[in-house]
Amino acid sequence: MIRGVARIATLALGLLVAAAVAPTTAQEQKGTLIFAVESLGAQTLDPILEGRPGNAVYQAVMYDSLVGFNFEKGGVGPGVAERWELSPDGLSWTFFIRPGQVFHNGDKLTAHDVKFSLERQMSQGSLAAAAATMRRTIKSIEVVNELTVQVNTNSPQIGLPAGLSRAVAPEGAIMPKNYIEKVGDEEYRKNPIGSGPWKFKRNVKGDRIEFEAVTHNHWRGRPHFKELHILLVPEESTRVAMVRTGEAAIASIGPETMLSAARAGLEVLSVPGTMQAIFQFYGAYKPENKDLPIAKPRVRQALSLAIDRKQIIEHVMNGKARMPHPFATFAYTDFFSAAKWEKWANENYRYDPALAKKILAEEGYPNGFELKFANTALPGTQFMVDIGTALADMWTKIGVKVTLKHYEWGSFAPLERGDQAQLLGWASMYRTAGRPDAPWRYDGAFSPESTQRLLGHKEHCGDICQEYVKTYRALIAELDREKRTALTDKMVEIVANTWTVIPIIEGMGYYAINTRKVGQFAPIAGRHELGDVFERVPRPEQKAWPKK
Amino acid sequence: MKRYIARRLMQGAILLVMVAMIVFFLGRLTGNPVDLMLPEDATAEDREAMIKTLGLDGSVLDQFVIFVTNAVQGDLGRSIRMKQPAVEAFFDRLPNTLIIIPWALLLGMVAGIPLGVMAALNRGGLLDRFAGTVAVLGVAMPSFWLGVLLIFVFSVELGWLPSSRMGGPDHYVLPVITLGTFLVAGFMRITRSAMLEVMESEFVKLARIKGLAETTVIWKHCLRNALIPVLTLWGVFVGNLITGAIVTETVFAWPGIGRLTYEAVIYRDFPLLQAVIILKSILILTINLGVDILYAYVDPRIRLA
Repeated sequence: MIRGVARIATLALGLLVAAAVAPTTAQEQKGTLIFAVESLGAQTLDPILEGRPGNAVYQAVMYDSLVGFNFEKGGVGPGVAERWELSPDGLSWTFFIRPGQVFHNGDKLTAHDVKFSLERQMSQGSLAAAAATMRRTIKSIEVVNELTVQVNTNSPQIGLPAGLSRAVAPEGAIMPKNYIEKVGDEEYRKNPIGSGPWKFKRNVKGDRIEFEAVTHNHWRGRPHFKELHILLVPEESTRVAMVRTGEAAIASIGPETMLSAARAGLEVLSVPGTMQAIFQFYGAYKPENKDLPIAKPRVRQALSLAIDRKQIIEHVMNGKARMPHPFATFAYTDFFSAAKWEKWANENYRYDPALAKKILAEEGYPNGFELKFANTALPGTQFMVDIGTALADMWTKIGVKVTLKHYEWGSFAPLERGDQAQLLGWASMYRTAGRPDAPWRYDGAFSPESTQRLLGHKEHCGDICQEYVKTYRALIAELDREKRTALTDKMVEIVANTWTVIPIIEGMGYYAINTRKVGQFAPIAGRHELGDVFERVPRPEQKAWPKK
Repeated sequence: MKRYIARRLMQGAILLVMVAMIVFFLGRLTGNPVDLMLPEDATAEDREAMIKTLGLDGSVLDQFVIFVTNAVQGDLGRSIRMKQPAVEAFFDRLPNTLIIIPWALLLGMVAGIPLGVMAALNRGGLLDRFAGTVAVLGVAMPSFWLGVLLIFVFSVELGWLPSSRMGGPDHYVLPVITLGTFLVAGFMRITRSAMLEVMESEFVKLARIKGLAETTVIWKHCLRNALIPVLTLWGVFVGNLITGAIVTETVFAWPGIGRLTYEAVIYRDFPLLQAVIILKSILILTINLGVDILYAYVDPRIRLA
């Protein structure tokens, strides 16, 4: 009898222990995830002082964004707000906040924090890239209730939610109102708190930032590691060496290093759709340039036909890139007929040097012409210089005599400003980052008031330029989803047919991974940086990488 | 001696003013930090707003006047990128550079000076040729390449040493070798040529005629006199190390002032760049002044010149 009771008691106790221990073991957080990256930007944990790349690399781990990601497809999805609605007049966006969110000091995240954060991003001292635009477009922000906030705009801003998603921009980062008001900006910058899945631990300037995992089940995912260290290692070969020795688990790399990393036994992870390498023409619309070969759209098209994109993908990008969609569009672009345009791009961005030469002859340049080409690379895309050099070689084959001039990005950027005197009649390499909202990027490149104004400017806005402006204005005011898609397609078509900005390849983000240090994980399409991914990175024993 | 020091201080002050002007105006010719802080699709409106927020909206001359006015009060401005006083950023990183320099100098002297003496004593011999090879390699090998090579061999392949970053004593080995290899070559060459010159001098012949042991002649009389140019070179090398550790600090992810300078240039962080160059210049001028004073004590002819 006693033995029987003892057995039952032991069994019950065993079941109890198993029940108590099993989930804990499954969710145990241990070890340190070490990530080596080439730049930590401003290395500040105050979101209003950092730009987009730095925000996405390291601020993203500890701050949530009002609008988040679509983890499956890429682009915009739920974030701090689980949904949002546009008012019938198009002048108010209402964001419905996910309940139960807390900051790292235990304070509840409410609509007051959202209002405070957006207003802080818009403030005069803010270095947010879109601060001035927000000040102009946002009329007021109202707290409707603890979990609902309404953003009133001066005119319809259909792209507002996208602009508050980290898929697009950093301005949606949510900061703790009560904490900042209590301790002040300086103390907050020293001891920042957010609501993300990682808590701030230490910031060693010029060296690293350390974070500690939250222990509750965060909506973005509960980290599998106990700590996350993001190391600043500017030299790529050193980063790869660190991953090989196990001093780092993951390191950002460029396409030129992919092969050697793979040969060394490292896993190479590619993030699809993070950028487009493009080339573009300056001042082709200007009357004084009308006699230049590049003023003719067919000549520009011929230059595109002379590019063997598959060779570039294979040999410059080591196979880790793909044929592009039209300018600034991707498979995940919102309100856009991606499949249709993919087919269009495959046909129109084909390699056809014979046709290119024929077009040049028809346009009066049977022996080619002289083309001035500025080769440059935006930060983090050094491979663009190699692409630019390849382009020059390919154009030479159809008789175009290319004068290639290399520019460091910081020296090239000022040339675009003002009257663009040094670039008129030139072509240059350029880049567009992977973002789901095409209109934003189009405005920056083609608006007659924009810095680049590649289709025309205020004094010289010809027919195509005016048609573009009309379409763009209709698009940003259109509330109907189907009509909006049609207008986006039309805007893309107008620009694509001008051959003023020509995509070369759709690039990816690349990472070298030590499979003994981290398990298999997937990045977010279009989001190069991994700041929103670390919490979903498993330990190697949790999910091993497939054997090669 | 006081007049000598005063004259050198005056020269240093003039040099500093020139350095400040060159850095201020040349830096602004090469671009604008706002272009590097904003995304490619930023609107002109956002650009103007950021320029204003960063205080870059005045004319270059206005900015220079503000810079000079603040600088004479010891304020070299705030880093645009790091959002902290530029002087503070410099002194935060300076110890990381200074901690590595003595070890590199020690390596250079401990290996380079005896090697130079040996080479001079075996002029034209096998040892001299070996030393010559060391000198050529030390000067010709780019520190970038050497650093990467050392990481590959000793960290990746052998697993003996950490590949990078600050840490325990083992973290110092590869950066010190990378920085010190050039110094070994430098010290070896100058010691060898100085030794050869001294060994031919009259007082050495006299010492030998007096019957002093050859060891005493070489290591006491010859080397002591040969070290005078080495002392001069020491000052130059320290200056080179302070300004030229950029590559080594970048390869080994060492957060020193070399990398800070590089970052200031890349990000067009004008206030930081100005502060770093001016403070480095002050450091180098101070070191050179110290060496000159020492030199003047060692060789009185310097004072008269």
